Amino acid sequence: MKKIIISLLACIVLCAVNSVSANEPLRSVLSAYMVDYGYASVLDTYLSPIKYKGANVRIGYERMCAMKFNPKRWVMQYEAGVDYAPAKNPAENHTIHTLMVDFKWGMMHRWNVSMVDGLRLYGGGSTQLRGGALYAPANSNNVVSVKAAWSLDLTGMAVYNLKLGKSPITFRYQATLPMIGVFYSPEYGESYYEMYVGNHSGLAHFGWVGNHFSINNLVTADIHLDKTIFRIGYRNVVETSWVNNLNTRIFRNSFVVGVCGEWLKLQPGAKVSEKARVISAMY
Amino acid sequence: MKKIVKLLYCVVVLLSLSACHEQEEFQNDPYGNFDALWTNVDEHYCFFKYKNVDWDEVGQRYRAKLRPGMSSTALFDVCAEMLKELKDGHTNLISAWDVSRYWIWEQYPKNYDERIINQYYLNFDYKRASSIKYAILNNNFGYMYYGDFTGAIGEGNLDVILAYLASSDGLIIDVRDNGGGYLTNVEKLVRRFITERLHAGAISHKTGPGHDDFSEPYNYYFEPIDDSRIKYLKPIVILTNRSSYSATNNFVSIMKNLPNVRVVGDTTGGGSGLPFTYDIPNGWSVRMSASEITDCNGVVTEFGVEPSPGCKVDMTESEMALGIDTILERAFVILEQMINQN
Repeated sequence: MKKIIISLLACIVLCAVNSVSANEPLRSVLSAYMVDYGYASVLDTYLSPIKYKGANVRIGYERMCAMKFNPKRWVMQYEAGVDYAPAKNPAENHTIHTLMVDFKWGMMHRWNVSMVDGLRLYGGGSTQLRGGALYAPANSNNVVSVKAAWSLDLTGMAVYNLKLGKSPITFRYQATLPMIGVFYSPEYGESYYEMYVGNHSGLAHFGWVGNHFSINNLVTADIHLDKTIFRIGYRNVVETSWVNNLNTRIFRNSFVVGVCGEWLKLQPGAKVSEKARVISAMY
Repeated sequence: MKKIVKLLYCVVVLLSLSACHEQEEFQNDPYGNFDALWTNVDEHYCFFKYKNVDWDEVGQRYRAKLRPGMSSTALFDVCAEMLKELKDGHTNLISAWDVSRYWIWEQYPKNYDERIINQYYLNFDYKRASSIKYAILNNNFGYMYYGDFTGAIGEGNLDVILAYLASSDGLIIDVRDNGGGYLTNVEKLVRRFITERLHAGAISHKTGPGHDDFSEPYNYYFEPIDDSRIKYLKPIVILTNRSSYSATNNFVSIMKNLPNVRVVGDTTGGGSGLPFTYDIPNGWSVRMSASEITDCNGVVTEFGVEPSPGCKVDMTESEMALGIDTILERAFVILEQMINQN
């Protein structure tokens, strides 16, 4: 456990910034805007012992670029998104509305796999904040279940570039696994009124995969058409917790479509030499 | 490389301990729905011990009444009867066609007639701010009627009301037929009648599915409204009947402990448990008391708050026919006594 924590911290806290040299390569920034649409399964026993199911929509943004201190080997990734899922009970007369927001920042080391041309592997850590609420309008004093979590994660990615005709395509699989962190949960039958009048004890919990297991799997294919890059993909998210005898299980499976762009961040008036070396985070 | 293998090994071990906890699922048939309902109540209801209910025995007795393929209405009736064993006005089974209930106030004298108040005491001449009806009566007593704790009351509304009533000699707060609502409105109202921090009561909640799994009672307090707002500190009488329920019961249990307050009328309806709602496979909901609130003395008021000593009054048919509200008339006498004692 100690080694995992040290490894995670090492990945996240790396800050050995070298001085800028004249031959410094240019680092392109990859931005992607994505919409997910799929299916969600929601169980939160604070609200209901029944599993609710329904559609899930996500609007997300992703940004990646090589790190300044070692652009060939390290990349930075930032992600943010909002998920909304109106899920129904099996009798379809009640709805639980789930609205969750997440922000993730991470760093990954990049390895070129010499045996397979075009394949690169990435591994590192990230930290993320996730929060939101599940709202069950048919309930009384347990009408809402608030979610909030901060975590340190392991994240890994495999990227494979190939050409299909004239169009380059970039395939990517990424998994993010929160390892430790802090999360919020009320007690088994604690009302928000009790919290309102001041009882805040026992609401924050140390999280680890034994009581707060989550994983985010993302498969994408980026199709380069001239200067525009279209993204299609599939996302699988599992969020579970078991604390205070309360069981939460949220599963999402969604198709992803998006538009990506890769651009250079330059000083005003700066010109890019034809010989300039551009390092992309993913392509 | 060895380090990476070790790290991956650790990840696999940790994943095997994952938080993915199995949840018991029930079939959507008479037995499955009954068992789901019984289990919901078994795991969340907070007054089994206080009411000395043997829920296992109750469950067995009513489960024996089930038949395969019985109609939904027949199942509803069996389940509703089972829930009535809890003698709890906060416990309801909610279906598309009916809401089961144990509303004790339906069995007691009504003890309130709005028409009598409006016609014979207010002469149809009263003010209304937000959800509160108010006036100064001919005997110079202030009168406030608050009929629903879900009704919004703003601090500005209370300032206007209490400024208007400031010249009265005493205040009657009528909460008869007030079936409850938001506890935050209770706090908002009580803060106008206190000058120092008030121990309002204590809350405890279930910490697990066992019948004895409770948290330590958490004492909660109300602070007086700041001095820029208007307070009312003269003698106060609160009028109650059996339909003064839930949040209203809570309001009465708090106000009763103030030295300048008397409670006049009938015992309140009770309902000191905060209700939570869960559902079962066929889509019915069950609402039940899930978190217990006591008064500042640790007394559970689930079965109501008694009027102050010597203040128990029922309205009589004969006086009602003459346009007399017996409870309100007693309130006038008690206010006079309180003023004279001061």
